[in-house]
Amino acid sequence: MQTESGVDENQLHKCLDSIMVFCNSHLMLNSENKLAVLASHTDQSKFLYPKAESATAAAPPSVEPREDVISMATGEESNDSMFSRTNGPGSCGEGKQTSSDGRHELLAQLDDSLIDQLKEMILNDSSQDNILRAETMLAGALALALCYIHRMMKEHTKQGLKSRILVIKAGEDSASQYLPFMNAVFTAQKLNVPIDACLLGKDSGLLQQGSDITGGIYLQIPNPMGLLQYLLWVFLPDADTREKLVLPPRVQVDYRAACFCHRNLIDIGYVCSVCLSIFCHFSPICSTCQTTFKIMGRPGKAKKRKLLPK
Amino acid sequence: MDEDGETETGAYIWEGEYEKTWEALREDEAGSIQASVDDIVSRAKRRRLLERPADIRLGMMRHLFVVIDLSSAMTDQDLRPTRQHCTLKLLEGFIEEYFDQNPISQLGLVVTRNKSAEKLTELGGNPQRHITAARKAVDMACSGEPSLQNSLEICMKTLRYMPGHTSREILIILGSLTTCDPGDVSKTIKALCTNIRLVNFLDGKIGLCFHQELASYNIRSSVIGLAAEVRVCAKLCKGTRGKYGVILDECHFKDILMQHVSPPPAATNTESSLVRMGFPYHQLSANVASGETPSMCMCHLDGNEEQGFGSKGYFCPQCKGKYCELPVECKSCGLTLVSAPHLARSYHHLFPLDASVELKLSNISAEVSHCYACQVRLTEQLLYQCQKCQKFFCLDCDLFIHETLHSCPGCANKPPNQALNDSVNNRNNT
Repeated sequence: MQTESGVDENQLHKCLDSIMVFCNSHLMLNSENKLAVLASHTDQSKFLYPKAESATAAAPPSVEPREDVISMATGEESNDSMFSRTNGPGSCGEGKQTSSDGRHELLAQLDDSLIDQLKEMILNDSSQDNILRAETMLAGALALALCYIHRMMKEHTKQGLKSRILVIKAGEDSASQYLPFMNAVFTAQKLNVPIDACLLGKDSGLLQQGSDITGGIYLQIPNPMGLLQYLLWVFLPDADTREKLVLPPRVQVDYRAACFCHRNLIDIGYVCSVCLSIFCHFSPICSTCQTTFKIMGRPGKAKKRKLLPK
Repeated sequence: MDEDGETETGAYIWEGEYEKTWEALREDEAGSIQASVDDIVSRAKRRRLLERPADIRLGMMRHLFVVIDLSSAMTDQDLRPTRQHCTLKLLEGFIEEYFDQNPISQLGLVVTRNKSAEKLTELGGNPQRHITAARKAVDMACSGEPSLQNSLEICMKTLRYMPGHTSREILIILGSLTTCDPGDVSKTIKALCTNIRLVNFLDGKIGLCFHQELASYNIRSSVIGLAAEVRVCAKLCKGTRGKYGVILDECHFKDILMQHVSPPPAATNTESSLVRMGFPYHQLSANVASGETPSMCMCHLDGNEEQGFGSKGYFCPQCKGKYCELPVECKSCGLTLVSAPHLARSYHHLFPLDASVELKLSNISAEVSHCYACQVRLTEQLLYQCQKCQKFFCLDCDLFIHETLHSCPGCANKPPNQALNDSVNNRNNT
């Protein structure tokens, strides 16, 4: 773990503790609540919970609408974790290990699974170069989460399942992920899945747009030591309860586009009608799709052909 | 199957063997065949996805007129409750989907009855206005005969002045088998068609020869027939490179209608140009310290309600006019206002996902027990593998990825330089 600008060495450990408490609280709110946790690293994303073997749990018998929260966290520097929470009541039915220390079985399974899978992910980190990158596969993890939500919604169509995604992020935005990220955000909007964002580090323009489009909450935490408090206060209540609470105000999102040539944010630009790339000034050839454009402007005088002298 | 009802082998359909369609269905333990019906539907969807050609220039900025037939044939009850109700209901869904997939496009509605045609809504980019008009049209009385020529003329009057880089389209929903026109409908059809010398039809005959002197507006016309195939509609669609579909039942109607949501291939003489657009700044509250006050927005200026008064809104960068929603064309300065996510919505048409390969579970050498995306245990025989990242997906995830998500989770989880290395390796191996 790198120490930078006074970051505590045990920060990942403390974050993990806060997140585990948050997950346990979600499961305890309602016995029908479900949870899935994903971790997103610099070169892969993985389900931390539920483990793949227990993914074939039987459908629960209740008829009330259940809540499925998938939260994803991207942690410090080279170590990003995404946590999503799902809990299937049947998943403990198959439980091969029974807790011997008096903990609630389901929660014990969740905690152990999180720690084990995360440990495995960090120890098996097979990055070929030794460069520590701060960019994580956020879009990939969102895509996995949405596929999982889609499968859960299909399995529980009779009871109805309201899902949401929580992203806990400390890493930086990756420009190469813009397209799959926007695709995931539009899919979430179509499925009515709000994407909440909890930022431990710098502001993320992508997540600001994502949470604004899908109707989620965006919060940049001023003091990472109080992560658990913010998680329990802002992100734990479900959509119906949120309407009655006073939550952090909406962030003003900058929806201006960046021009493809200079990456500056522009107010007025030119859009190619073929490939929809944005430019800040007129140019006769589109650099993305190589289409030539008619130069619009002053009509030229028609040239008179001169007769060749005989 | 071509228009004479012959199959590719040359025999008529009734001369072929019996299709034992009942054998394709299987009952599960509870006696329901829902699972196998779903299976058949999803396989048909997959086949259609594979048929879509790639690497074609698409018409992204679309101006579409939808012509609805409100003649007496639409009171027929073969679609529940009447054809008119069913059509307008499906049209509401179509309008929403259309603006979702093509956010910078425009739509207009035209109805035809009593041998004339009238415009229900002008060409515009606000979906709510069109949905409200479609809902009101349910109460309009159906009577008389439709007029194909009049409806085409009304659409042409507006579409001919649209800029050359846009894709101009007409979609006609025709329930009647006849049309009552004031003049020669073939002249109107010729005016819509592409200005080309010769047309080769599918059966080898050299078709109509369009004169170069006739004005040609290159408007792509498609028809959805509710009753049966009509020759003049088929001619219209062939000449303008549109699609002609005749429905079998309500599900098929919805299917055909939704096929028109995706952008069509651009015509050869569509101009490409740089369109000047503005990206307005979204303001949530007025900054009272600098003297900004709440104001009325330009979109609700003509209305009688108080809606639209406030400090929230999008401000045009050129003339500072306030608008509630985007995309919109600024009323005072004429600049098209969009936001970056609107353009991003259309990007998946330009970068389509490659089709995945269907494989049998028994043929795969690697140990694959779970779908990569949703972690479900793979029990069925068929798996789908992405060509670029070599990950395996189940059928549900594959359909979800191709129809809704438009990004492969496996490819999105690869860092850029690793993805590049893998694609180079794949190309070297094949």
